[in-house]
Order: sequence, then C-alpha cells, then structure tokens
Amino acid sequence: MSMLTLGLMFGAVTLIFMFSGAPISFALGSVAVLFMYLFMPASALNTVTQNVYEEMASITLLSIPLFILKGAAIGKSRAGQDLYAAMHVWMGRIPGGLGIANVFACALFAAMAGSSPATCSAIGSAGIPEMRKRGYSPGFAAGIIAAGGTLGILLPPSVTMILYAVAAEQSLGRLFLAGIFPGVLLVALFSIYAVFRYRKEYKIAEAEYIKSGIASPILERETFTSRQKFEMLPRVVPFVLLLIGVMVALYGGFATPSETAGLGALMALALIALIYGVWRPRDVAPILKATLKESTMLMMIIGMSLLFSYVMSFLHISQSTAEWVVNAQLSRWVLLASILLMVILLGFFLPPVSIILMTAPIILPPLKAAGFDLIWFGVLMTIVMETGLIHPPVGLNIFVIKNIAPDIPLNEIIWGVLPFVVLMLLAVVLICVFPGIATALPDAVMGVAAVKS
Amino acid sequence: MSHITESGSADSGAVVIDPDTPRLLQPLARALLWINQALVIFGMVALLVASLVLTYSVVSRYVMKASTDWQDEAAVFCLVGATFLCGAFVQSVRGHVGIEAIAGWLPKSLNNYRLMLVDLLGALFCSFFSWKSWTLFHEALIEHQTTSSSWAPPLAIPYGLMAAGMTLLSLQLLVQLIARINTLSKQLSGASQ
Repeated sequence: MSMLTLGLMFGAVTLIFMFSGAPISFALGSVAVLFMYLFMPASALNTVTQNVYEEMASITLLSIPLFILKGAAIGKSRAGQDLYAAMHVWMGRIPGGLGIANVFACALFAAMAGSSPATCSAIGSAGIPEMRKRGYSPGFAAGIIAAGGTLGILLPPSVTMILYAVAAEQSLGRLFLAGIFPGVLLVALFSIYAVFRYRKEYKIAEAEYIKSGIASPILERETFTSRQKFEMLPRVVPFVLLLIGVMVALYGGFATPSETAGLGALMALALIALIYGVWRPRDVAPILKATLKESTMLMMIIGMSLLFSYVMSFLHISQSTAEWVVNAQLSRWVLLASILLMVILLGFFLPPVSIILMTAPIILPPLKAAGFDLIWFGVLMTIVMETGLIHPPVGLNIFVIKNIAPDIPLNEIIWGVLPFVVLMLLAVVLICVFPGIATALPDAVMGVAAVKS
Repeated sequence: MSHITESGSADSGAVVIDPDTPRLLQPLARALLWINQALVIFGMVALLVASLVLTYSVVSRYVMKASTDWQDEAAVFCLVGATFLCGAFVQSVRGHVGIEAIAGWLPKSLNNYRLMLVDLLGALFCSFFSWKSWTLFHEALIEHQTTSSSWAPPLAIPYGLMAAGMTLLSLQLLVQLIARINTLSKQLSGASQ
C-alpha cells in the first residue's frame, strides 16, 4: 500500500471516529489500536499500554492537574468578583475605563487561573451585568469578556503551552516567558478597542439624548474616592502576590514547572481558606472534584493523542506528510500562513489540546526546516488557537457567556466577539513582523544560546 | 451548530443509575456508583498529596539542603492513579468530551443508534486497554520491574492503578451500553405495538 493511500485512510478513519461523537480520547485510542492491528507487527499491540503510561508519566505533563487545581481554587472562590470590583474602582475615571477594567481583570484572573472558560465565568458574571447597567451594548460587553478569557491559554501557566512544550520538545520556562509580551500586546489592543468602541457608543447615546432627551446610563460619569479604592486592595493583593510568587519560584530557579504547579495549588488553597474561609472539607471537595473531572478528561485525551502520534510516526505518516510539505518548497511565509490557516480550521472542531498533539509531528519539522524559532511559533499557534475559543462553531467561551447572560442573543454575542478575532489576527501579524515581541523576554531572562532549535 | 459538549448530568454532580439499566445489571451499576464515589475521594487525596510532595520537594531542597530523588516519582504515581481511577467516575457523568457535530443533524431514532455505537466503540477500546494493562502489570510484578531512578519504586504500582482504573471504566461503559440497548429495544417494541 502506498504511503499516500495509507495516509488518506488514516485521516479518513480518524475523521469518522472523531465525528461519530465518541469521546475524543477513546476515538483517538481506537484509531491507533486499529492501525496497529492492521499495519504494525503483532507485538506492537502488546506495548500499547506501556506506550501510553510512559508518555503520560512525565512530570511536566502531570503538572497539568495541579495547575487546574490552582485555577479551580481561585475560580470557585469570589476572587474573580473581587478582582473585577477592584479594577472597576481603580479605572473608573478613564473614559471607557469599565471596558478596560474588564480586560485587565480577565488578564490577571487568566494568569492566576490558567483557564479561559473559568475566566469568562468568573469575571463575566460580575462584569457583563455591570457593563450593561452602565449602557454598554450587550454584544460589546460579551465580546470583551469572551476575548479577555482567551488570555488564559497564552499567559503562564497555560495548560496549552505545557502541551506544546512537550510536543515540540521546547523549554517550558522559555515558552511561558514568550507568552507574556504577546499577552500584554493583546491586552493593549483589546483596551484600545474598548476605548474606541466606548467613544462610539457614547456619541450615539449623546446624539440620542440631544434628539429625544432620553439619557443612556453610558453618559453618566462614575467617580470613586481614594478610600473606596484602597478598601478594595486587601482582597486582591494576596492573589497578585500569588501570581508574582509563582513566577519568582519558576524563574528564580527555586522550583521546576511541576513543583511550581504543586506549590501554586497549595498556595491558592491556603489563600482562599484565609481570605474567603473556604477550608472545610465540604467547601474544598467541590473544587477537588471539578479538578478531577477536568484533569482526568484532559489527561485521557493527552495519553491517547500521544499513542495516536506514536502510530502516525511508526507508520511514517507524519514524516511523509512533513517531507511532502518540505518538498513542496513553499516560501517560508506561505508555509507559515498555510499552517496557521490549518490550525484555524481545526479550531472549528477540536480543542487546543488535540490540535497540538495531533498536528505537532507533521507541522513542526517543516517549520524547523524553514528556520522558524519553535518557541516563537508556539506563541503564534497559541494565539491562533485562542481565536478558536471565540469563533463559531466551537467557540467554547461564546457558550460560557451564553450561560451567564442567557438573554443576550447568540448572534449579538458572535458579532460582538468578531472584532476581537480580528485584533488577535492583527497581533499574529505584528508578532510575525516584530518577532522580538515573543522572543525578547525569554532571550533576556534565559539567554539567547539555546533558543534556536 | 456543532460544538463540543459534555452530555449527561456532568455539571450537576449528582450521579444516578440510568433507569433503563436492566434489573440483572442494577447491582453492578450500584456497586460502580459506590466504587466511583470512593475513588473520587481517593483522587482528591492523591491531588493534595501530590501538591504537598512537590511543595516539600522545594522546601527540602532550599531549606534543609536535602536531595530530592523520590518526590517527582511519588507525585507521578499519585497523579497517574488519580487520572485512571477516576476515569469511570468521569464516564458515569459523561464527562469525556466528544465532537457532537452530527448529533443535531440526525433524526432522533438514528441518533440513538449512533450513541449506542459510540458506547460500543468506547467499551471495546477500554476492554482491550484493560486486558493489556493487566498483562503489563503481571509482567512488572513477576519480573520485579522498577523505575530507572535511584529511588526505584516497583512499576507494578502505577501499572496496577492503570489496569484497575481502565477495568472500572470498561465496566462503566458496558453498563451504559446495555442501558442504551435496552432503551432502543423498548423504543422498537413500543413502535411495533
């Protein structure tokens, strides 16, 4: 059987199994076992479980449940609302400050919790009603929160980046650092857009007021006293210290990424116990249960995706496809654009975890051959996958928003989110033109020598 | 619109036996319910122990200047155990996500057959995986296999946890598959009357 036929068969069977609606982990595992049975030596089937265990028993991968625990502890407490309230009070004076406060609250919460849906839910449940009360259009309010939530997979500690680091065999510490400036760039772009959109909505409301005498709440100015501002700090500062503490532990050379995950999870549990009194077993059990549910599902997908990739590699499907891409002799930017387009299309149906593990063996060798820095590409791929969280048809964050604000029609949420998708793609272009946005910080902190692989 | 869903009562957390589970299988379904609840508690403890062990690793290295040779492996064993042993619980709330893209397009009757086939696929795969896991566990046990670290704990521990977890997952899928078949046969007999 020719490699082309085998590759096409493998692709077709994978699509059928995945779109049957079977859990992704079982679908990927079944495809792998089926092709092992049909095309690999009989002894290969005896090593299935050993392969899965050896791939999964990596302490870097197994830091994922602990990062999820840290996020769940913060996400299930009132930290999100407090963070939002503090940002609101501190940025109240800036025109469009409420929108910016939401973007900043999302970014900070995402960096602490590392989860996009948790960020949308925690900040959005307080932020969306407040923005609507202040006269922001529902679509705009939903867009800010949906887009702000996506920062969870770009800012460290990001589960998506952990997987990319494992799949691409790159330094996790370097990758985490590489995500920070692009994250800041996205926060800046979202904030600029929030001010621009606020002004537009303000002008429309002003014209309406002059015409009809009906004043929209957006025309009201909110001011807060210094006392109000400082009263907000005690509940927020510990969480910001946690964020800084985790980064210092990781980059100060005190802890490995997995140790940071364990330390971060314990510190988050300790903080919510001290600040919100969440310490009784009946309070902590739902956090641990939610962590187990999410991490078990995710780790099963990861284990089976790695088995799937192993079979693809053993049958030379990934190498042949990669070779075919290299031999197509596309210009490096056309190659990059095609790969990113493919990631966008996959993002229509698949979660980032599966996209990374299934495509890494195929797309990384051609990119490496074309001379691209894989850390830099990891950041680009993550931003592109972030768009998949807010564009239809999957758009996980859209559905989270729909849950917290069921009265906002879905099409209004989608229209509100689309400008943010454009801003994210603009960020991708900017990072391509100025690669230093992603590479400068890891180069400065960890040195340049080992960057290019 | 297609999207990834978590079907079932995933968010409510309340797990009940499917009313279409045949009477003969109800004791097994009930036993699985209890075992899963116990294993969730084990998983919770394992998560906390892994966090404590990794934190101790940092403290012992920097405060007590002690070597850290066993902590990573102990954490791996805890987390591998939690992952596999809680697989059946996650399946009981249908928490393993899939792409439900075609669910909305199919007529209800056809969709029921699809759901049954999906459970069949899962049950077959997990049964095969359990069988191979027990083989691996058996080999590790009789050959006294250990990890390659200086601590060298027996590999039979994580392999055993993996085998037990995947066996429970297979049983959970089997119970859910039979309940689905029962639902379908009830619908068929209802339609023919």
